[in-house]
Amino acid sequence: MKIIRLIYRKLIDASATKPWDQLLFEGSWYEYLLQAQTFNPEKKYNTFAELMAHVPNADRLHFLVTPAIIGYLKQLNGRIPDITNNIGKTFLPFKNFKFEIVNSDITDKNKHQVAVNFISEPLIWHDTIGHQLLVTTNNEPENGETLTEILTLQPFLSIYSIKA
Amino acid sequence: MERKIFLKNTLAALGLAAVAPLAVSSCGKDTDTTTSTTSTTTDSTSTGTGSTTSSCTVTDTETAGPYPTKTPSSYVRSDIVDGQSGVPLTIKITINNTKNSCKALSGALVDIWHCTAVGYYSEYVVNPGGGYSSVDYTSSHFLRGRQTTDSNGLVTFTSIFPGWYSGRAPHIHVHVYNSSGTSLLITQIAFPTDICNTVYTTASDYKAHGTQDTSNSSDMVFSDSLADELATVTGSVSAGYTLTHTIYVAA
Repeated sequence: MKIIRLIYRKLIDASATKPWDQLLFEGSWYEYLLQAQTFNPEKKYNTFAELMAHVPNADRLHFLVTPAIIGYLKQLNGRIPDITNNIGKTFLPFKNFKFEIVNSDITDKNKHQVAVNFISEPLIWHDTIGHQLLVTTNNEPENGETLTEILTLQPFLSIYSIKA
Repeated sequence: MERKIFLKNTLAALGLAAVAPLAVSSCGKDTDTTTSTTSTTTDSTSTGTGSTTSSCTVTDTETAGPYPTKTPSSYVRSDIVDGQSGVPLTIKITINNTKNSCKALSGALVDIWHCTAVGYYSEYVVNPGGGYSSVDYTSSHFLRGRQTTDSNGLVTFTSIFPGWYSGRAPHIHVHVYNSSGTSLLITQIAFPTDICNTVYTTASDYKAHGTQDTSNSSDMVFSDSLADELATVTGSVSAGYTLTHTIYVAA
């Protein structure tokens, strides 16, 4: 029996269609415009890539923009979005995450792209069936049986850590 | 989302662009609740999409609510303690405008951040060893916050008395933006030494760390500007302290 944690990297850009994604996009864009000024007082650079290449400590922007999205993370009630079990329900518990700015450009909102890396709480891995993992989030039997979850391995979902 | 793009491209290439919206409903991992109507459509559509069907995952079929609501940035809050222990400190900062006869500037955004009772910032305690770090969303940005100035130019924060770390006198960082988010000033606030000495030698969360190793007069930031950056602090260890300070910006 192994304990694993999954990681889901959710990319969000200007093409987002779901309300939560759009709010997170808007919130992170606005905050990026505020925070990036610290590293770019003369507006010498337009893109995040240029800031990272030329301005020391510009990688602090990942952290500095993060508070703008935490309010939205709290609305998820501790469950990783999008990744459902095989009966179509989100179920992966999370507390830890890492927000990242993937791309941005202070002159073009459409180039703003961010990602939220959701790291699940520990799961017990029992078996792999085809492309699906059989796991339990709570390995305590109830009335003599342990309830399980099956989820499909898919793009942007990976195993973050493993513990024997 | 990336799968949607893939599907759209695939379908466009197959000349099936007209059915793309339905196909997206069936396979997109971002789709919201589905109805029985959609499920029916899903079956007939997926027949036509051939191999792409095999990479699909089950669509989220639970209630999508409560719908996300627009929350203000988590910086926007007056209580920035987030469970950090220390002597209570109320921080009252007034922003005045040098371009308007030094009158109060309302609607300005004021960000502040400072270290814990033992001298750590939330930005750096998460992963002192470097490398890939993740944070717990319930407590990741303690002792950082943002408020908008009222008609008197005032913002008020509830926090704890900052500690100190080697090489710097005790301080609070401040970043002031105008109401449209343009950066106006990045500055710091210094503390009266006698009050720091009282807190650092008598309050339980600070005592073990002792008194600051850098005085205001020898501090690299405050040494040439202490008169403008020194706050007024009143109160006591048992009752907590109140800091008042005025910052002038050209807005």
